[in-house]
Amino acid sequence: MSSSRRGFLRDLAGSVRDVTADARKGSDPFLAPERLERYSRQLVLPEWSEAAQRKLAGASVLVVGAGALGSPVAMYLAGAGVGRLGIVDADDVELSNLHRQLLHFTPDLGVPKAHSAAAKLGFLNPEVVVEPYQVRLDAENAAGLLEGADLVVDCSDSFETRYAVNGACCAARIPLVEAGVLGMSGLVMGIRPGEGACYRCAFPEPPPDAPSCATAGVLGPAAGVIGSLQALEALKLLTGVGEPLVGAFLQADLALLSFLRVSVERRPGCPDCAAAYA
Amino acid sequence: MTRTLDITGVTCPMTWVRTKLELERMTPGEELEVRCREGEALENVPRSAREAGHAVSVEGTTIRIVRA
Repeated sequence: MSSSRRGFLRDLAGSVRDVTADARKGSDPFLAPERLERYSRQLVLPEWSEAAQRKLAGASVLVVGAGALGSPVAMYLAGAGVGRLGIVDADDVELSNLHRQLLHFTPDLGVPKAHSAAAKLGFLNPEVVVEPYQVRLDAENAAGLLEGADLVVDCSDSFETRYAVNGACCAARIPLVEAGVLGMSGLVMGIRPGEGACYRCAFPEPPPDAPSCATAGVLGPAAGVIGSLQALEALKLLTGVGEPLVGAFLQADLALLSFLRVSVERRPGCPDCAAAYA
Repeated sequence: MTRTLDITGVTCPMTWVRTKLELERMTPGEELEVRCREGEALENVPRSAREAGHAVSVEGTTIRIVRA
């Protein structure tokens, strides 16, 4: 993966930064005091370790969508110390976004979300390399956008995009955290291509009359809960800490605060993930 | 060989962060001698080390930890 163009640039940026810090301090720059302090509250976790932190620092994650789900996902991943974050979003910030899309503020109205997000993430954690892509991911460009990623988090708001992401992740065998939120309910699913069901195995067809959040509405914190769960699953998949939700989805009814975990079998002949088993 | 670590210059939670990361680099049975200040570190580091399953003894402001 590091032989890809973006992976190479990331490695280069990382090695340049490390070499200079090394010369200055004469010790392992990864353990520089300000870095240890930044990540101290996760480093003290019994389950966490320097090894887990290093895995994050070496990881490249593509976040598809910088909206209600993408905001908590990108913020938590940047805060946790993921090395590189790609942010894909074609839209501009609108007034109706602000009740749920935590990365964007009133002065950002009209600014491309990918750039608004990249600016905030840079403030949050300057150690993270953030790459904004002001483009709509589709079946045509998905493979190129995913290239070099160790994990994809799909925070998009359409079934068309979800299937494009799922198909491309299966083809490239990149782990994926899917999610959707609508009204006061949501869903999270982890996918490791070649190890159980993919998103299309679970949901072969989009629902015929799926409302969008523009017509059905969504509560900000409901999206926040689902996005936070996505970020959590992403950290588990990247570090191996905890038990990731793979080959199953979590359905959340946030009006009743009821969660249901549903195991999903791989669908033989699934057009998306069959290749991952070939 | 006993390793040594000086955490007199840092405060919670860095006291345990430093100790924990040092322990992660050691092999089971190896001993770590941690020099700390009176107060918070002397209370929290031995407790955290015990909770993590290591054998701990304290003498003055020196904490001896045998890695589990």
